[in-house]
Amino acid sequence: MKLVGIAGSVADKSYNRMLLKYIASHFSDQVDIELLDINDVPLFNQSDDQTNGDAVQYLNHKIMAADGVIIATPEHNHTITASLKSVIEWLSFNIHPLSGKPVMIVGASYYDQGSSRAQLNLRQILESPGVDAIVMPGNEFLLGDVKEAFDDNQNLKDDRTVSFLKETLTKFMKFVKVINTMNKPEDPGWEAEDLEAKGKVETTVEGVDMHAADWVEKAAEKTHAAEGDDYVKLDRGLLTVNQLNYFLNSMPIELTYADANNQFIYYNHFLEAKDMLASRTPGQAGNPMADCHPKRAIPHVKQVIHMLRSGQTDMFRLPVPGMGPDKYVMHYYKAMHDAQGEYKGINELVLDIMPMIQYYLKHTGQMLVKDPDADTDAVSGASTNVKPEKTDAVSGASSDAEPEKPTVDEVSGASADAEPAPKPTKPDVDEVSGASSNS
Amino acid sequence: MHKFVAIVGTNSDNSTNRKLLQFMQKHFAAQADIELVEIKGLPLFNKPENKQVPAAAQAIADKIDQADGVIISTPEYDHSAPAVLMNALEWLSYYIHPLADKPVMIIGASYGALGTSRAQEHLRQILDSPELRARIMPSSEFLLGHSLQAFDDDGNMIDQTKLAKLAGLFSDFETFVELTKKLNHANEANREEIHDLDWANL
Ligand SMILES: Cc1cc2nc3c(=O)[nH]c(=O)nc-3n(C[C@H](O)[C@H](O)[C@H](O)COP(=O)(O)O)c2cc1C
Ligand SMILES: Cc1cc2nc3c(=O)[nH]c(=O)nc-3n(C[C@H](O)[C@H](O)[C@H](O)COP(=O)(O)O)c2cc1C
Repeated sequence: MKLVGIAGSVADKSYNRMLLKYIASHFSDQVDIELLDINDVPLFNQSDDQTNGDAVQYLNHKIMAADGVIIATPEHNHTITASLKSVIEWLSFNIHPLSGKPVMIVGASYYDQGSSRAQLNLRQILESPGVDAIVMPGNEFLLGDVKEAFDDNQNLKDDRTVSFLKETLTKFMKFVKVINTMNKPEDPGWEAEDLEAKGKVETTVEGVDMHAADWVEKAAEKTHAAEGDDYVKLDRGLLTVNQLNYFLNSMPIELTYADANNQFIYYNHFLEAKDMLASRTPGQAGNPMADCHPKRAIPHVKQVIHMLRSGQTDMFRLPVPGMGPDKYVMHYYKAMHDAQGEYKGINELVLDIMPMIQYYLKHTGQMLVKDPDADTDAVSGASTNVKPEKTDAVSGASSDAEPEKPTVDEVSGASADAEPAPKPTKPDVDEVSGASSNS
Repeated sequence: MHKFVAIVGTNSDNSTNRKLLQFMQKHFAAQADIELVEIKGLPLFNKPENKQVPAAAQAIADKIDQADGVIISTPEYDHSAPAVLMNALEWLSYYIHPLADKPVMIIGASYGALGTSRAQEHLRQILDSPELRARIMPSSEFLLGHSLQAFDDDGNMIDQTKLAKLAGLFSDFETFVELTKKLNHANEANREEIHDLDWANL
């Protein structure tokens, strides 16, 4: 999360500026706050439009790019300063960067009332239609008697003040998330998922043919990728690329990385395609996801990706049948996010859980018995009525098998899955494999 | 005859608030001497450590000192008084206090229908603060909405009902000025208190 802070003063010395600086540095492990300078902003004049001048444009760009704004206001004559009001006037005249922006108000004053009137005023000003900011309700942070509030290192002296400030800031961070979610354009829906990966994300390697069998080599060359004994710093540790490969290739799980642009960019290549639970070939890495699926499966693949991207679910479970009675193959589709909660793609994990079940039964002296009440075949789950097929939402090839009247929720595998699975939008459709009971 | 200072609450070149004050100056010429005062050109208030008020602000303060009362006509920007007017009032409360106990009439003109109701409320609150302590005429409000259409080519107010209201309020203001002169028992205390307000030495 990225916030900007504005102190409503152009005086050489300002306690409000000091307060903002303190907030920015003291809570820097929680949120990135950049202080914006208003010293060069001219006094607003309707007949001398300086909207396009550097000082106003600087604020415009910074505010537009920020997730939220913190304003620290002094109190002069029971209201905010002219310097702050002037800034707001510029930002409500011919441009409106504060429109829809979450704003938190704080304030410091020499008196014990600590800018309460100025804050109330500021709230009213920010909510006027030309400004149209969204001010966090309640949670007034008033720093009264400010001349006594800081120590020599410009840190707040009073622990209770600091913890209240922390509480307020934490609430504001939640508020920013809520407001920005509300402001997000309408969800375009699953149909908008582009499995051809024609868009791009910041990691997309441009100028290399995604369909090429040697995409990995070409893209590595283009990006001067680390390899072999090059070190990679990780959260948490340091490995060489070789070590990273030993590590990932010794996982008893088939791992696949599909990025936020729906490009299949990695799998842990420790088996030949024919020996894999969900087969992949080295030449597939780099392919757009559309290449990896039969046309018929595409709507369902899109639905799953969309649910993960939009946060409707974080993990999608799918038992994939057809590997024989002594295997129970699960595909897990896990959404990946960065520290800011931004969607970064899908981690697909494929594994046979039967060995674990067998191990557990053997070592606890138990056995499997059929549940007489179950309306599904507990052993093969959703698959009873589906012809054997190897299917795979992210990168695998799917045969064109048509199901005949599936009797269970095909996504969760019903009773076979102990943990409740997220409810799919259309429960009678196998969203990933493309097996639909209606078709 | 009363002498009034009329502050144009904006730095805009084509201000309907200026027009309103110019109209009053002309229309009430037989009743009172109204001098228009501009606040354009004052530097942005930056709380200078040397406590020096710019000469232009001091000049306005001197005019206010000499006047029986002050009329302020305010536009409305973002539901409040414009920064340029707030700026002038910051200078006029920084180690000088020309507005203390001074009778003030607040009026305002805006393009929209509401005629600066919120800006006037805001201005009232500012003028009532301890550093300014003006004597604002109570229970009176002159709101000139749709101000771009309010005057004819000669600068006369078109709406006669509005004009009658303005004339009434203006006469009331003259009475209020006289009344305020009698409300003088606390003047000395007020003046002392206000001079004790020293931000730097709190
Ligand atoms: C012209 C002027 C008016 C002031 N009026 C108020 C006031 O109404 N209420 C108040 O709490 N402080 C008032 N103060 C003092 C403020 O507490 C102080 O200037 C400011 O809020 C401290 O913040 P800063 O160090 O960021 O400027 C005033 C100061 C000046 C110079
Ligand atoms: C930045 C800005 C904000 C404004 N906000 C308001 C407002 O909140 N309410 C309103 O009635 N008019 C608003 N206006 C339009 C005003 O009616 C108009 O500019 C002003 O009051 C007319 O005064 P003047 O003719 O003396 O300049 C705004 C104008 C500007 C430039």
